Amino acid sequence: MQRLTLSICLISSLAAAPLVAADVNSADYRAQWHTDIHAGYQNLATQSQALASQAGAYCEAPSAKGLEHTKQAWLDAFLAWQQVRYVDFGPVEQKNRAWQFQFWPDPKNLIARKATYLLKDEAAITPEKINESGVAVQGFPMVEYLLYDQTFREGERALPADRSCQLLVGVSNHIAENGEALAKDWGDFKSAYVDNDQYTNTTVRAAMAGLELLEERRLATPMGLRGNGKRTVYRADAWRSGASLAAVNATVLGLDQQFLTTFSKLLNDREQAYLAERIEEQAKEIQAKFPELDRPMAPLLADNSQFRVLQSLYVHISQLTALVNDRAAVELGVVRGFNSSDGD
Amino acid sequence: MKTMFRPAPLVLTVAAAMSTGCANTTPSDSATSQPATKTSVVEHYADLAHAGYEDALITAKALDEATDQLLANPTQANMKAAKEAWLAARVPYQQTEVFRFGNTIVDDWEGQLNAWPLDEGLIDYVQADDYQYELGNAGATANIIGSKSVNVGGETVDVTNLTPELLAGLNEIGGSEANVATGYHAVEFLLWGQDLHGFEQGNGERPVTDYAIGADCTNGNCDRRADYLDAVTDLLVTDLEWMVDQWAADNSDNYRSQLMNASSDEGVQKMLFGMGSLSLGELAGERMKVALEANSYEDEHDCFSDNTHNSHYYNGKGIQNVYTGNYRRVDGSVVSGPSLSDLVAQSNPELDTRLNAQLDASMKALGVMQSKAESSQNPMPFDMMIAPGNAEGASIVNGAIMALVEQTGSIEKAARQLGLEALSPDDAGHAF
Repeated sequence: MQRLTLSICLISSLAAAPLVAADVNSADYRAQWHTDIHAGYQNLATQSQALASQAGAYCEAPSAKGLEHTKQAWLDAFLAWQQVRYVDFGPVEQKNRAWQFQFWPDPKNLIARKATYLLKDEAAITPEKINESGVAVQGFPMVEYLLYDQTFREGERALPADRSCQLLVGVSNHIAENGEALAKDWGDFKSAYVDNDQYTNTTVRAAMAGLELLEERRLATPMGLRGNGKRTVYRADAWRSGASLAAVNATVLGLDQQFLTTFSKLLNDREQAYLAERIEEQAKEIQAKFPELDRPMAPLLADNSQFRVLQSLYVHISQLTALVNDRAAVELGVVRGFNSSDGD
Repeated sequence: MKTMFRPAPLVLTVAAAMSTGCANTTPSDSATSQPATKTSVVEHYADLAHAGYEDALITAKALDEATDQLLANPTQANMKAAKEAWLAARVPYQQTEVFRFGNTIVDDWEGQLNAWPLDEGLIDYVQADDYQYELGNAGATANIIGSKSVNVGGETVDVTNLTPELLAGLNEIGGSEANVATGYHAVEFLLWGQDLHGFEQGNGERPVTDYAIGADCTNGNCDRRADYLDAVTDLLVTDLEWMVDQWAADNSDNYRSQLMNASSDEGVQKMLFGMGSLSLGELAGERMKVALEANSYEDEHDCFSDNTHNSHYYNGKGIQNVYTGNYRRVDGSVVSGPSLSDLVAQSNPELDTRLNAQLDASMKALGVMQSKAESSQNPMPFDMMIAPGNAEGASIVNGAIMALVEQTGSIEKAARQLGLEALSPDDAGHAF
């Protein structure tokens, strides 16, 4: 198991790589990337704030309808995060923010363990308490657990129980604060990013790693195409809410809107128009599978006739990964370095 | 079975040879010996691996004998001796983990010896209210020792006779990687038992009477527990014998001969890939950062014995060994020869100096972790370091993580210096 979004950053040593040495004004590309990623972060900040407000309103006056609204607000904010999740450099590296948003995978069910521990405890669930409780407590999976987990919802601490509501509101506020800080810090990061040639490589590598994670960890692993061949939804993200595939689509959408547009221009400027076109088509074909594929993954894993739908999505994602990571990156001289997925 | 399934693997681009002016530089410190070449460096790498696995075998045999003693005569003293033998066996084995990433033959084999984390309820009794197992693992509470047959996910296996072959076949039963029936951590659990102390001082407290003969037996099935421990320690020895053979010289039909027949660039790539992967993704990331940032003692490596600090320390040592070409054997003798360090120094002495300094800094940081964990006053083992709110512990673990991250940056540079453009992980042969 691995968590690719570890905020360990390699000191990039690609200053002399061909990409940078060529006579294109890389700063133009980076300026566009900065703007587009900023839009993604601002969306995350907005949606996270909406989640915090909705959670607060629900716990003030609990109702079945309010719970549904809170679930929707969680999903909107979670999908906003999926759109920027591939960005693994810059301000998101500070304070393990990526892990704070989403600690994943969680094969040992640490989320449930931490929730039980906090809810059983007598001490008030303050912002300080959440700050010191570790990344498994601080993000979207914890809120998802409180809103969706089958066992928890049937238990005595189910929402809107007092302490559970405190935890829901506390974690949602924590996410909102992180969302706002990240958007602001990304804005402040502009000149450091645009003025440094090295960040072109870094950005392409982030997209490569994001696609690798999507193909290998988020799809192939739960589908049983790796390791021991067992299909298990617990290896997917957001299995409790059934949003694993919606999250896949959100990541492709985020890559398309924030990264690929400029990447295509870069390829076009290098007379790689055909490759640019192939990549854009591939990304669109994946998105065309939605919203039809916006379904929980578990039933698709359980039934062989439905599994084919997943296989088709997987093949399309792996083709996109191959085009970007193997064809385009090699064309541009961007090489994969060590990253946190190089374990077992 | 582990399979690699990538539609189009990342390309390993091997750049043109280094400029001859650089490549011909003779190392200043050894005027009489031949300058290191990629071929001689890969050959010595195989020597290091052979010596490492031989030491792992020697210490595993000692562990096997110590557990035989314990089973024949289950006393406190024999329990202590068996635990000490286990701890000693970890020292060379952890130094061999650097050979795992990059050499598919090792990676495919090692799960039977060193898989973790494991759901120990597969093996023996556990205290259920403090036992968190892998989500969806149907084998997590199978209790092989307490049963004559186990049923995991519809698959029923007769476990009447606890042979090494039977136990090896039970690994990953039901398709869960946490079903680990054999290897160092299974032995560790059988000697120490479940660690019920969480973030507090203390490790597993298995009573020696769990192996008592007759009416003194605690927790039931002492005879089967003894058979189990006997079988897994025997298996450890035969598994290591096989791996020693794979690295032996003068054998035309083993892994070493394949490695030497392949291009020397490929060999050097494996060396660097192994160093970088263990350093960053596995040791700094999976084994330390995950445990620390999630305050998760479930992610502690040697959780039953609280020997995690040593496992980390000797992992780090293994990385350094591969770069410097030096390895101190368990008998105190030193194996040395042509090294990556020599190769890098030929064309970029400044990078070589820096990487050597960074490897030293990592060992120093891991040494701080080790001495704090074993300190006679207020010892702080790894599971206490990662507790919520333990600033001192977090700073020790973070120090080790940062040192490993820095050295990985230079390992990448060294690869480029030696003309290896991409450190493709595909050769590792394990699932990504």
